[in-house]
Amino acid sequence: MKNLWFYYHDRIILEDIHAEIEKNAITAISGPSGQGKSTFLMILNRLWENIDGAKVKGKVEIDFGKGFEDVCHESYPVHQLRRRVGIVFQTPNPLPMSIYKNIAFPLTLMGEKNREKISYTVEAVLKKAFLWDEVKDRLLENAETLSGGQQQRLCIARALVPEPDILLLDEPTSSLDEASVRVIEDLLLELKKTCTIILVSHYSDQIGRIAGHRLVLSERKLRLAPEKAKNM
Amino acid sequence: MTKSFPDRLLSLFSWVCALSLISAVSIIIGFLVLKGYKALNLELVFSDVRPLDALLLKRQVFGGLLPAMTGTVFLIVLSMAMALPLGLFSGIFLSEYASSRIKWIFSLTFDILSGIPSIVVGLFGFSITVFLHHYFNGKIFPCLLISAMSLSFLVLPYIIRTTQISLESLPLSLRLTAPALGATKFQNIFLVLLPSSLSGIISGIVLAMGRCAEDTAVIMLTGAVATAGIPKSIFSGFEALPFYIYYMAAEYSHPSELGKAYGAALLLLIICTALFIFSYGIKNTLKTKMLYRP
Repeated sequence: MKNLWFYYHDRIILEDIHAEIEKNAITAISGPSGQGKSTFLMILNRLWENIDGAKVKGKVEIDFGKGFEDVCHESYPVHQLRRRVGIVFQTPNPLPMSIYKNIAFPLTLMGEKNREKISYTVEAVLKKAFLWDEVKDRLLENAETLSGGQQQRLCIARALVPEPDILLLDEPTSSLDEASVRVIEDLLLELKKTCTIILVSHYSDQIGRIAGHRLVLSERKLRLAPEKAKNM
Repeated sequence: MTKSFPDRLLSLFSWVCALSLISAVSIIIGFLVLKGYKALNLELVFSDVRPLDALLLKRQVFGGLLPAMTGTVFLIVLSMAMALPLGLFSGIFLSEYASSRIKWIFSLTFDILSGIPSIVVGLFGFSITVFLHHYFNGKIFPCLLISAMSLSFLVLPYIIRTTQISLESLPLSLRLTAPALGATKFQNIFLVLLPSSLSGIISGIVLAMGRCAEDTAVIMLTGAVATAGIPKSIFSGFEALPFYIYYMAAEYSHPSELGKAYGAALLLLIICTALFIFSYGIKNTLKTKMLYRP
C-alpha cells in the first residue's frame, strides 16, 4: 500500500498509509475502536465502493502471481478482485438461505452449473472450516438457525469457496464463545499455508497466539502511518 | 410487572384501536353475509343455464353473474400484467440505481399519482379512448384493454412504493454480503435482495390487486357495461362485479334484485380472498425455491 488515503463524507479516516504485507502469514491489526480498522480492510477488496460517501486515494498493489498490479485503479475488474480477496465480517452474515445454498452461492455467482462439482466443493470447504460434521445432516436447513460460532465458520467456509489468495477477517471471534474461538484460531493457522491472512483483532492474547506480524492503527503507529480523524 | 400510567394508557389505546378496526370489518362483512347469503346459489351465477354448458361457453348466460365474474378476473389479470413489471422495476430503479435527487423527484411524482382520484383516472382513460377512436377510424371503443391500462395507472404507485421501501429497509450487512463475494449489482439484486424482500413486495401486489378488483369509477368510464356476456377479446366491452353492484343498487326495482347485488358483493369478496391466498401461496413457493432448494 502506498500513499493511501481514505475519506468518508470528506472526513479523513486514514491518512497517507504505507504498508507491506507478507505472503502466507497472519498479519494482525489492532488499535483503539472506531479508528478505521474495518475501513482499512474494505480498501483491500474495494468494498468501500458499495458504501455511500466513501472515497479513496492512493495505490494498493497485490501480487497474484503475475507481478504487482494496482487493484485500486478503476480499470482493475472489481469482481475478479473480490474473488481473490475474501472477507469475513465481524458479525456473521449468513444469507437467508439454506446452509447448502449459502456455501454454493459464490459458485452460483461464477456461473457454475455442474451439480456434482457444487456438492463436492460444498463438502470440501465445510470440512476445511471444521463445520462439516456438525451440519452434514441438515444442509437444507436455514443457515440462520445455526449458533453464532457455526455461522461464523459458515461465513469463513463461504469466503473460501472462490479459493482466495488473501483472506480478510474483521474481528472474527469477537462475538463467539471460547470453544469456537479456539476452533477458528486453529482454522486460521491451517489456512495461512495457502492464504495470506489479515486479521483485525482486539484480543492481544489471540494476536500473540496466531499472528506472525502485528500492525497498530492508531495515533501511535507501529508500521502504519497514523490516521487522522478530524473532528467536525 | 407494574406498568406506569402512560404505558397502560398506550396499551389500552392500542387495544381500542385494534378492536374497533376488527369490529368495523366484521360488521361490514357480517352485514353483507346476512343480506346476501340467501342470494348465493348457482342461479345467481349461471341464471337458467346449466353450469357445465356455461363454463364450456356452449351457451351464453344472461341475468347471471358469470360474465361479471369473468370480466372482473380478466380485468385484474390484465391490469396486473401491465402494472407489475413496470412497478417492480421502477421500484428497483428507485432503490438501487437512482441518485438522491432523482429519487426525490420520482417519489414526489408517484405520490401525486397516487393522490389522483379514480374518477379523474377514469376520465383520462375515456379521453384516450376518444382519441384512439378518431385515430383508428372508429375501430376502438371503450374496452377491456383500456380499462386495464387505466387501472394499472391507478395501482402503479402502490407497487412502486412497496417495492422501493422493502428493498431499502434491507440491512447494510445483507447488501454487502453478495458484493463481497464478487457479485455484480444485477446478481445482488436478483439473487439476494429481491428474494429477501418478497414479503413486502407481495403485500404491495395484494393491495394493488384488491384495488383493481373493486374500483368502479375507472371501469365505468372506460369499458364496463351492464350486459356484454363473457369478454370475447380485449377490445370488447365487458361486465364487472363492482359495476353490477353499483347500477343494481342505484336502479333496482325489486328487493330480490338488491339481494342479488349483495350476493355479487359477497362473490367479489370471495374472488379477492381466493386471489390473496393464491398470492401468498406463490410467495411461499418462490421463497422456498429461491432460498432453500439447492
